[in-house]
Amino acid sequence: MSRRPTVAEQLARQGVSRRAFLKFCAAAASLMALPPSMAPAIAEALGKLRRPSVIWLSFQECTGCTESLTRSHTPTVESLIFDMISLDYHHTLQAAAGTAAEQAREDAMKEAGYLVLVDGSIPTRDGGIYSTIAGVTNLQMLKDALANAAAVVSIGTCAAYGGIPKADPNPTGAKSVQALMDEGLVPRKPVINVPGCPPIPTVITGVLAHYLTFGEIPELDSLGRPTMFYGDSIHDRCYRRPFYDQGMFAKTFDDEGARKGWCLFELGCKGPTTHNACATTKWNNGTSFPIESGHGCIGCSEPDFWDAGSFYTALSAPADPLTLATSATVAGAAIGVGMSFVNRAKKGAAKSGHETATLKDLEK
Amino acid sequence: MSGLEGIPIHIQTAPHAGANAQAILAELETALQALLDTGKEHSIDLRSLPLLPGELDYLQHTLGTGEVRVEIDALGKSDVRETAYRGVWWVAHYNTLDEVMAEFIEVSFCPDIVRAQRDDVRESLDALSARLAGNEE
Ligand code: SF4
Repeated sequence: MSRRPTVAEQLARQGVSRRAFLKFCAAAASLMALPPSMAPAIAEALGKLRRPSVIWLSFQECTGCTESLTRSHTPTVESLIFDMISLDYHHTLQAAAGTAAEQAREDAMKEAGYLVLVDGSIPTRDGGIYSTIAGVTNLQMLKDALANAAAVVSIGTCAAYGGIPKADPNPTGAKSVQALMDEGLVPRKPVINVPGCPPIPTVITGVLAHYLTFGEIPELDSLGRPTMFYGDSIHDRCYRRPFYDQGMFAKTFDDEGARKGWCLFELGCKGPTTHNACATTKWNNGTSFPIESGHGCIGCSEPDFWDAGSFYTALSAPADPLTLATSATVAGAAIGVGMSFVNRAKKGAAKSGHETATLKDLEK
Repeated sequence: MSGLEGIPIHIQTAPHAGANAQAILAELETALQALLDTGKEHSIDLRSLPLLPGELDYLQHTLGTGEVRVEIDALGKSDVRETAYRGVWWVAHYNTLDEVMAEFIEVSFCPDIVRAQRDDVRESLDALSARLAGNEE
């Protein structure tokens, strides 16, 4: 195998200036929820990076996750995925088809250390025959792909937790990647879960950019999700939170409260129990997120969200006591300085205040 | 891009409307002081904040427009504008499709992105020297 060029070499070959690269890294820092002061350090790390090989496997899924990713605007798919990684197999996006496509996958798997991306759950009932690609079951394909992989990123709630295919009564015996590892059905590798139905596109690319920059798995929560994107609940960061804190709730979708933008808790909003970045990163190029459009959060980034009762039934009890002091906006105002760090509280660099951050600060 | 501004929706602002924007202004005050005292630059990522609808406009309006405006053409446009508060810059990076990739408020004497980068200057020097030596490609 020929030596993979570094990202810097690749960009220089394309006539991209350092200034353009710095801009790209500033956007990447924003994408990774890192402080903007990290951009030069990111530039240095990415400059030295050799483009890693990536194999993307789509199993029992609706292609919504791929749709989401290809609409990601910050470093676009073109610049991030195709410049920084070598996407050796993706059956929807690749040009090759049929035997040539499967050959590409097998070739990529010969050189150990690649990253495997999975969207969709994996059926296990009846030998896994409910989903096959080129006559190979998803289960077998995943098993083969994981053998020499460095890590796997489960993209979307289906790959991460089973999602809708696993919803009751789960006719295909669908399982998540992690569940298969726990049962010893596929080789155990480090797993990063990026749930959501679909996940926010910039969160997908943000997680990939983080892996590329630091060459390691980011800090994960107990459900395997990167805390930089899933560390806060929707409710923690919701702009309607002040209404919640004051007990001002919309009771129907067209009453006065709904029209005035009051809290959607009583209309079934799952924001208090859902961890995702929708409230800050938002959707459609940062335009808005469901709550901003007047619909409660449905909790799509949590395990078994489909079976968790009606989307329109209120959670049984308020998540925490009604207290003004917990309001994000009030806390922000009280702190004043460091408002821009509120969202990065778990990062070492943020904790160390306003010193110039280096890559070292952010590792682990 | 979208015609959202054209749709007359009245959003009632929350009880603490403007608190986020106020907090950012306070942060800028501290950052300007630090810039004067130690030369330390500061940058706020506007995409990371749970801003209320309207707060971004409020910020933009409050900071106003200053004397300098730089347009950069590198992997899409970048728009660097000094605000009415000198040393406070509004920096928006666009991709080649003219979508906003990232937006920052920076506190510095001159945003780094405007300056020529060292490695680029070295390459320019090499290219120019080669040209003068008569062996340009
Ligand atoms: S319950 Fe929903 S709408 Fe209400 S503040 Fe929490 S996340 Fe926002």
